[in-house]
Amino acid sequence: MTDGEFQAIFQEHKNAVYQFAWRMSNSSAVADDVSQDVFLVLLRGEADYDCSRGSLRALLLGIARNLIWKRWREERRWISIDDESFLAPALDLESVGKQQAVAAAVACLPPLQREALILATYEDLSLREIAEALTVEVGTVKARLYRARENLKLMLAPCNSAIMRTAK
Amino acid sequence: MAPLSDLELDELLQAWEAPSPPTNLERSLRNRLKRPWWKWLLTGSIRVPVPVTLAVAAALLVLIVLASVRNPARNPAVRDPGGLQPVKRLEVRIIRSKYEGNN
Repeated sequence: MTDGEFQAIFQEHKNAVYQFAWRMSNSSAVADDVSQDVFLVLLRGEADYDCSRGSLRALLLGIARNLIWKRWREERRWISIDDESFLAPALDLESVGKQQAVAAAVACLPPLQREALILATYEDLSLREIAEALTVEVGTVKARLYRARENLKLMLAPCNSAIMRTAK
Repeated sequence: MAPLSDLELDELLQAWEAPSPPTNLERSLRNRLKRPWWKWLLTGSIRVPVPVTLAVAAALLVLIVLASVRNPARNPAVRDPGGLQPVKRLEVRIIRSKYEGNN
């Protein structure tokens, strides 16, 4: 890969990679490290990119996702990834702003639901691209996305009623 | 409390904005690329699959056993650091005392 090619890829995808890592981890330091690692993987030719198999953006976000999971494993953050039995907790969202409310609710989601939701909502990836990034079937992505949205609808309901009250 | 509709949820989700990457992201990346190779010897790590580790450990064990069978360990108490060598040809010299012949 020439320097010019790398520059073009870096400029095009740096925001997506950084923001995905930030939303997944809620940490600027982690997002910074992960973004650097993603592009280092690309520069060192460790990512086997085949343009016929999918988009480069999906590949980069998939690498970012794997690096975040690796960090969690190394930090011994044993988080429950059982996303089917997750019950949306009641969050006290009335006293916080919309941004914090959404951030808190998304952070509460099990990681498998969270990553699917973030890739679909904020990175505008198609279901097929998300499936490539997460190396799962499209049906699995659909199910995780559905569960994530249903959980968020429950968790963010108090937030919405608070907003309605302020609007009145 | 009624859950949100899809539309309301989408509207709320759009309110969550992520920060832009820091301006020095590329510079930090380039600095990491320029890091001298010997620093890797101090801070780097490699992942070795468990089967490979077990195979290498087994091979080492076999080598150690084979080496000890071919060169049986000498008794350290007999070893002489003063340069004594094992006897190659045994030539026994009998020294008689002057009183032996008288008997």
